[in-house]
Amino acid sequence: MIYLDNSATTCTLDEAADTAKLYMCARFFNTSSAYQPAVEADRDVQAARARLAECLQADKDEIIYTSGGTESNNMAVYGVLNARRGGRLVAGITEHPSVYEVANSLRQKGAEVDFVPVTDSGSVDMAYLESVLKNDTALVSLMHINNETGAVNDLGAIYKLIKSRAPRAVFHADGVQAFCKMPFKNPECDLYSISGHKFHGPKGIGALYIRKGTRFTGSLAGGGQERNLRSGTTNTPGIMGMDAALSFYRDYQQDAIAKMRACKLRLAKNLMEVDEAVINGPMPDEGAPHILNVSFMGVKGEVLLHALEEFKIYVSTGSACSAHKKGKNRVLESMGIKGPRQEGAIRFSLCPFNTLAEMDETALVIKEQVKYLRKFKRR
Amino acid sequence: MLMEDVLLIRYSEIHLKGLNRPFFERKLIEGIKRALNNHKVYVIREQGRIYVKGLRQCETDEAIDKLKRVFGIHSVSRAKVFKKDWDTICAGVTGMVERLLNERDCATFKVAARRSDKQFPLNSDQINRKLGELLLSRFSKLKVDVHDPDFIIGVEVRDEVYVYTGETGCSGGMPTGTAGRVVLLISGGIDSPAAGFMLAKRGAELSAVHFYSFPYTSERAKDKVIELTRLLSLYAGTIKLHLVPFTEIQTAVYEKCPSKETTVLMRRQMMKIAEMIAHEDGAKALVTGESLGQVASQTLESLAATDDAVKIPVFRPLIGFDKDDIMDLARKIGTYETSILPYEDCCTVFVPRHPVTRPSVDSVRASESAADFEDLNVHALAEREILNIG
Repeated sequence: MIYLDNSATTCTLDEAADTAKLYMCARFFNTSSAYQPAVEADRDVQAARARLAECLQADKDEIIYTSGGTESNNMAVYGVLNARRGGRLVAGITEHPSVYEVANSLRQKGAEVDFVPVTDSGSVDMAYLESVLKNDTALVSLMHINNETGAVNDLGAIYKLIKSRAPRAVFHADGVQAFCKMPFKNPECDLYSISGHKFHGPKGIGALYIRKGTRFTGSLAGGGQERNLRSGTTNTPGIMGMDAALSFYRDYQQDAIAKMRACKLRLAKNLMEVDEAVINGPMPDEGAPHILNVSFMGVKGEVLLHALEEFKIYVSTGSACSAHKKGKNRVLESMGIKGPRQEGAIRFSLCPFNTLAEMDETALVIKEQVKYLRKFKRR
Repeated sequence: MLMEDVLLIRYSEIHLKGLNRPFFERKLIEGIKRALNNHKVYVIREQGRIYVKGLRQCETDEAIDKLKRVFGIHSVSRAKVFKKDWDTICAGVTGMVERLLNERDCATFKVAARRSDKQFPLNSDQINRKLGELLLSRFSKLKVDVHDPDFIIGVEVRDEVYVYTGETGCSGGMPTGTAGRVVLLISGGIDSPAAGFMLAKRGAELSAVHFYSFPYTSERAKDKVIELTRLLSLYAGTIKLHLVPFTEIQTAVYEKCPSKETTVLMRRQMMKIAEMIAHEDGAKALVTGESLGQVASQTLESLAATDDAVKIPVFRPLIGFDKDDIMDLARKIGTYETSILPYEDCCTVFVPRHPVTRPSVDSVRASESAADFEDLNVHALAEREILNIG
């Protein structure tokens, strides 16, 4: 199997799975209980929280555990707007649905929402962003790395712009595709979303970084866990499993990033030998180290995906090809990528365990398959 | 007082049958037992009626729902059973009517008695009159209306007395397994499951064949067909589903035959493979979801050119249906929501932009000789997967 769909999810590391199991079985206790083994489980969780905080150069009180990226993103948007009782929202046009759909639904309910367009390479249009930042802007939500194209937003520059143009606004960045894939540093934003299964942790666990001093309303009421912002029995298997996966990146992050980048460059170079193959998004040496989006003109992405599946090579498409509902790809569309180029898009997303040999083999199979499939054009 | 709930089942057309009526009744009982196999019940046949006994009261609604999907049933009534003693009957009927009248200010009714046990001292007409008088004197809200009553109080006197006040209409049709087997060509769209339903309703058992075109269609599309087959099997009993790979045939047609005839040539190969399956499964006909003029491949000429590929009869029960009618039927039988799931289907590559709408049989036959389709068809059949569903 050659697995190149790591932006959808990653394979859970053995250490992460083993750790999760330990906290399901031997150390299953509820961290809110009063007796010694429960207190110990709670200490373990607090230690994990501190380690995650350290990666973000943050305080452990700034970390809230959630069920994953979607919850973190929803919680971020609603948490800020509810604390403000409204206000303008600014969101990127290429945001993940867990931000985009929230913004859409708020707009339908009468909120003022500005969607910020992107440049041809998929990063936010800074001039446009500047123009919509107002004194009454409550929240800006922009993703760190785009999940389909690997386009990177310069959080530092955006944060600075927001501070100068809309000083009262909170800045949320969806870091789901970026965390661990970019060098660890203090997020240049107020809120930052993380999802465990995107970096070899278990599914169903994530976190939201909330910078100290940010006005914020919690989401789930109940037992008061997570500093009363997100109640619910502490997910010890998830938290400790994610912590185990994180420890891999803490130890090897530089090598991991370099390896993904090398694979991506190799794959891009190989694929550029295919006739009429076009990269969507930033150039491979720019952008995220692990996401490459390429269109093979004249072949539907969906068909190529299934053809690769027969060789146990797993990728995903940009576009949803459907006879019943012509689904447009919002991300590519907003970058001005339309028609056959949009229909022919394939997303490759890598992890540190991919190899250069896999990149060569994948490209070889694609070359053959694209050549074969191009024989059949609607006539 | 004995107060058991039973379901009283009326046949649809079986009463028209002569000497072979027991065969139809037996098949109907098999169908009923299959539908109710999760319940501990006895199914009893008695003089033109079938009774289901042993249901707990909380299961009765669920059982009626399942019986609605059993072909050969005209209607079902939930009945109370009383001893053959006049006072018991009167008390029982009064109690039932009282509950019915609780939510009404006034109502019209009639009593419809049937005395199968001729030893019973009152005949049907006398039962009607005496019970009618009793109810009128007891409930001032009630009036008789023999033509269009709000409710009919059914009384059947047999070894025991069955009384019911309502009737649930069912599917009708003929019991499954009384008409032989047919092969349904199922696509994953709205029409073919509805067509399968129509034949199953007339008592046919179903085999089904689906053609898939990996990599132009995905595993999910296959799952969708399996789910549609399962929904159909709730009516038709177990369905033998053949999943046949079709890509090689499609690409051969594309490469070797005139593009405007692509669709009709592909459909001919599908028919031929379905016919082979029919011979294997002992089926006597093919069934498709086509309706006249819906698309280019469904003109009279196209249908004739398709039929020309096989010797076996091809039934098209939806031939005179509008799309709206078909959608209504699909909704009624519960396949619509699954049929419209938007799983990708990239076969449009093989759909010509300008298909021939009036193909000639001679021309199509000539085009077909460009490739060894017989060999390709046999090969596709050998590669198929078979699932027994339901």
